[in-house]
Amino acid sequence: MATMEKSKMIGDGKSPSQILKDIALSQEGILFIILVLTIMILSRSNENFLTTRNLFNQGRLMAEVGLMALPMTFIIITGGIDLSVGSILGLSAILVGYTWSNLGMPLEVAIVMALLGGSLAGFINGLIIVRINVPPLIMTLATLAFYRGLAQGISEARSVTGYPEWFFGLGQGTFLGFPSQLWLLIIAIIISITVLQRTTLGRTLYAIGNNAVGARFSGLPVDRTLLIIYTFSGFMAGLSGVIFVSRFTTTRSDMGNGLELDAIAAVVLGGTSIFGGKGSIIGTIIGVVMVQLLRNGLAINGVTNDATIVVIGSVLIVAILVNNQIQRLRQSE
Amino acid sequence: MRKFLMTFIVMLMMAALTVTVTAQDERWDGADDLDVAPLQCGMGDEMDESDEGMDGDDEGMDEDMGMEYDGGSAMGAPDMMGEDIVLVDVPKLIGIGYFDATYLGMQQAAEELGNVTVIQGGTTEANIDDQVADIANYIAGGEIDGILFAANDPVAISPVLEDALSQGLHVIGYDANSTPGAREWFVNQAEFNGIAKGMIDSLVAEKGEDASFGIVTSTFTTPNQARWIAEMWAYASDCYPELEWLETLEAQEDAVLSFNQANSLINKYGEDLDGIFGMTSVATPSSADAVTQAGLCGEVAVVGLATPNAMKPYVDDGCVQSVVLWNPIDLGYAAVYVARAVVDGEFAPGDTTVEAGRLGTLTVVNGSEVLLGPPFIFNAENINDFDF
Repeated sequence: MATMEKSKMIGDGKSPSQILKDIALSQEGILFIILVLTIMILSRSNENFLTTRNLFNQGRLMAEVGLMALPMTFIIITGGIDLSVGSILGLSAILVGYTWSNLGMPLEVAIVMALLGGSLAGFINGLIIVRINVPPLIMTLATLAFYRGLAQGISEARSVTGYPEWFFGLGQGTFLGFPSQLWLLIIAIIISITVLQRTTLGRTLYAIGNNAVGARFSGLPVDRTLLIIYTFSGFMAGLSGVIFVSRFTTTRSDMGNGLELDAIAAVVLGGTSIFGGKGSIIGTIIGVVMVQLLRNGLAINGVTNDATIVVIGSVLIVAILVNNQIQRLRQSE
Repeated sequence: MRKFLMTFIVMLMMAALTVTVTAQDERWDGADDLDVAPLQCGMGDEMDESDEGMDGDDEGMDEDMGMEYDGGSAMGAPDMMGEDIVLVDVPKLIGIGYFDATYLGMQQAAEELGNVTVIQGGTTEANIDDQVADIANYIAGGEIDGILFAANDPVAISPVLEDALSQGLHVIGYDANSTPGAREWFVNQAEFNGIAKGMIDSLVAEKGEDASFGIVTSTFTTPNQARWIAEMWAYASDCYPELEWLETLEAQEDAVLSFNQANSLINKYGEDLDGIFGMTSVATPSSADAVTQAGLCGEVAVVGLATPNAMKPYVDDGCVQSVVLWNPIDLGYAAVYVARAVVDGEFAPGDTTVEAGRLGTLTVVNGSEVLLGPPFIFNAENINDFDF
């Protein structure tokens, strides 16, 4: 809860330079500095890295993971996890294709169906986690397989193509000079930050993560809150699925395979504690951007794919170690 | 309007069903009912155009010659005629024998040409998301002049390839195609009628023109297998009417099931069975295994589509004489030659042939595809030269 600490410190009447130092040394601050350093190094070794064209392209590629990482931050703050988002993405993508092609509905209806389907999938996760008290890890591991199987069953392993041209605007077009899906991501970020920092719901998330039993006895609507965020997670995965179909111009049941791990990695890299109670949206966004730019920057500089995975893994470990060390030092100050 | 459409679709489906029912009288089990274009009879290697297809219209090679170029073009590509170029190879995945072999062929071509460098791209999993991101990175990197790809999904890969073309990069496909407009040329490893001819010719060479045989396939509706069987049926009807078709059995792509189905053929037909066709890379080695275990090597010939590594034991001990596939080394080799010819302006839309080094002159089919040639038959002499 870095921002809460910050506002407390500001209230303590510290000097502006002290406030600046606090921001720089916060979890997100350190991460941001590492990100800037990475970008500087990568852009020095290849002039094609820091071009609007490439950056916009990367924006497109990271939008889907970004959208899923936002609710994932909420869920991890409560001490839960959602492993099924990659599968929900695949299921929603198939729903777009199935509703439009097999049921012959207009594409607009198909998109709504996909969003509803995604939300429903998330709602089922939440319902069973809350009502039957299944640990989120187990429940979403089960639905990771279940939703993917459903996607394969509905689609009968066939892909749907031939969507009308206007639909591709979402995944490939631009709006006001920016890639369309980046606008969606920006709007989602603003909403998520507001919810987390400025609403009771956001505060409840932290309370649940810190002490779920305590939160319940304090009269907080724990069950309802969990139900909302798992449904939200499913909805965002559904939205990502629609963008995915638009970007690839086809639906396949294996879409989004493994993306849940990318989303979780970004959230954890962004300083959200896997034990719950601590984390921020800004950190998650820096995490998403960092992983995406590292992948792209290394590839552009001619690093092979296998080596890239190793480098990214190492950077993740170093970033987390450095950050932990600094936060520990600050606490003992 | 919608109601009308639905009625129309239902009628169409019923029509299709009727056609299927009637077609079953003409075609063998497991064959589809698309048009066929059997090749000319004979054991020669030449891929002559057939005089006339069974149904006479489209899809056949004879008609393809007239089909217009439907590939894309690299917009504003710099003139690199004769200059050094860098190509990136993006196969479906890296680290498997098959694509190691295509890459080897590319390196051989690059070495011969002297002014081409091929770098290895691609991801360790055959995943379309990763493949698209990989290609996007190479485009952004700005250090390549062209892309050689084998698509994990024909449609999903197309936007990023179109982007590459719009950046002036040359795009050539091999092994697995994209939509035609998203690349310039596609090197097609084998056409259905070519494979079909290779299969039937191999069996006839082993067991004579009046052999009787069974088929082990995946399912009756699997597209490639159904196409191959239809072409085999058409070619055999034209060229070897004496062949006796016993039965087609379904075995998915399952090794145990394939083994059992091959065994049922052996037990059911006994002495009457001269050969088994394996239509999948799983069915062929399993059938060979069944024949070996029944002690019928030499009595029952096994001919089929399979990769060399799976078939080496059976070919080495003489139980299987011919395995039909294409040569992936030649496939990669041809892709580089096509790319070089495109860059040099020697191969442009409308051309009907292209020179490809040691492979000689390759023919253009289906508008914008370069046909590698007749399928490659692996046998005891050459199978140990391959590792995939």
